[in-house]
Amino acid sequence: MEPAIRAEGVGRTFNRTLKAVDNVSFTVTPGEAFGFLGPNGAGKTTTVSMLTGNLRPTAGRAVVDGVDVFHHPEAVKRRIGLVFQEQTSDSDLTGRENLELAAALFGVPRRDATATIDGLLDRMQIGDAADRLTKTYSGGMRRRLELAVGIIHSPRVLFLDEPTLGLDPQGRAGFWKYVQELRRDHGMTVFVTTHYLDEADSICDRIAIIDHGRIVATGTPSELKDHLGGDVITIRPAREDRSLEAVLRAVPGVLSVASQDGAFRVKAPRGEELIPPLVNACAHAGIGLAGVSLKRPSLDEVFLEFTGREFREDEGMTATDRAVRVGQVQRAFGRGGR
Amino acid sequence: MIRELVALTRRELLRLARNPEAIATSLLLPILYLLLFGQAFNFGAYITGPRLAFVLRGGPTYFSYFSAGMAGFVAVTATLFIGANVIFDRLFGVLKRTAATPATATSIFGSRLIAGSIQPIGLAFLVLGLAVLLGDLGLTGLQVTASVTAVGVVEIVLSIVILSVMFASLFLAIGFSIEQPQTYFAVVNAINLPVLLTSVALYPWGLLPSWLANVASYNPITLAVNVLRENLFAGATAYYPYDASVYLLGLFGWAAAMMVTATFLARRALAPQR
Repeated sequence: MEPAIRAEGVGRTFNRTLKAVDNVSFTVTPGEAFGFLGPNGAGKTTTVSMLTGNLRPTAGRAVVDGVDVFHHPEAVKRRIGLVFQEQTSDSDLTGRENLELAAALFGVPRRDATATIDGLLDRMQIGDAADRLTKTYSGGMRRRLELAVGIIHSPRVLFLDEPTLGLDPQGRAGFWKYVQELRRDHGMTVFVTTHYLDEADSICDRIAIIDHGRIVATGTPSELKDHLGGDVITIRPAREDRSLEAVLRAVPGVLSVASQDGAFRVKAPRGEELIPPLVNACAHAGIGLAGVSLKRPSLDEVFLEFTGREFREDEGMTATDRAVRVGQVQRAFGRGGR
Repeated sequence: MIRELVALTRRELLRLARNPEAIATSLLLPILYLLLFGQAFNFGAYITGPRLAFVLRGGPTYFSYFSAGMAGFVAVTATLFIGANVIFDRLFGVLKRTAATPATATSIFGSRLIAGSIQPIGLAFLVLGLAVLLGDLGLTGLQVTASVTAVGVVEIVLSIVILSVMFASLFLAIGFSIEQPQTYFAVVNAINLPVLLTSVALYPWGLLPSWLANVASYNPITLAVNVLRENLFAGATAYYPYDASVYLLGLFGWAAAMMVTATFLARRALAPQR
């Protein structure tokens, strides 16, 4: 089956030096929800801009819904839906007028346009406000309108670029409910970028973790979490004690121990069962503890595992710093973009 | 193409109609000029007869001469904000949204050009109508001393339309090329006054030093108001070296050059970023 999206070695360098996206390759099968997960500045939006024909790449090739994006960007624009992270609906127009404009620009047949618009307004629960200027809409309503504009022409592939940015939890949940309905009812392929880990976990069939412009891991949320090897128990000693690592390693059932900021991250398949022996081992060794915590595998942990740092740790780093860090991550984990 | 042009033009006109303050503000300038500036220069008290006709190129009064110039002048002032709208639409994401649709750059540019030209065209004719009306209200008004033919009416309409389209194209070109509103207004101000002050929209032609008269003769506002004055004032043609149709042709050349430049810049701005 022809993939809905196929990216091969896609790259984008700005000002000949800053590699915003570097040798990114992946495929998305039709009907799949594929997530690009990464912090701000990781290259998510740059990738979406290239795949949707709005930014020329400096390397690679991409095919979306059977069309070569970089050679035929206009043809791709007809076939895809795109929801931006910022508000782009026209605040001086009503919700209905925004949709009428989009229907005309995407060539929705005139005879179908009115019914399509009415259907979308109802589905997105903005029918009552359809004839109000969108400047009077709440954030959630405007997001739902953005989604309606993005799917007015029933695209087979929908790109969502951090679509819930700035929404409250209720607004986010509502937005994703509509996206899931679209997938269920129309078999739409969804490519979503987000830095909300919980969203990626619950929405996406597969996830690519992107960091400093490179894909550092790809898999289903379960695969990525399984890669961690189980739960993570964080043990913080009352005083710094170098012997603690050896004590922890000696406890049966411990898969690995890593130190981080004075604490030790212990991996184990069933963490809750291992906490008592770990605490006992510390007591026998005469090491006082300041705290113990248990974390089930989450994408936070996955991100930490594959990038070697917390999710938002290095926002604001320079391009040079980032290049150095990317190199470190690649060497440490032996992974490149796949 | 036609459908997207119509839809985008409708969007521009709806936005214009929903900002009555902007329309009211645009009316203020020509009204003040007509009520104050135009009334202030009573050349007839000092210069009379053939000398006045020479200075005003056949215009019976300075106000009459000036009214035709104002019709050209508002084509500039009423188009100033067209380019700013492009910049604000870019800042607010609307342009990004439009560029992400299959709409062609020509349609996006064309819709803004059509919608943006309507206001100055309307204002120009409003100026002429108001100028005539002022005479009936006991103030100095526009005196049309020639019998305007059908061809003359067409020439007058064309000159206003082409002049408006030309300046709309110019300011759109600037709007598509500049990202910051502050820079836009700085550039526009740097263009606006020199263009106005090197035209004969407000100056009595016969009082100009020859170098300025020469410069002004190529100015697009001058070309447009020449067409108006030749058609509105009896005997005016004697003072103009060319027929109104020649000035129209020159004006068309200006507009065509500006439209080609603006279309190119709009296409470049809306193309996938390089």
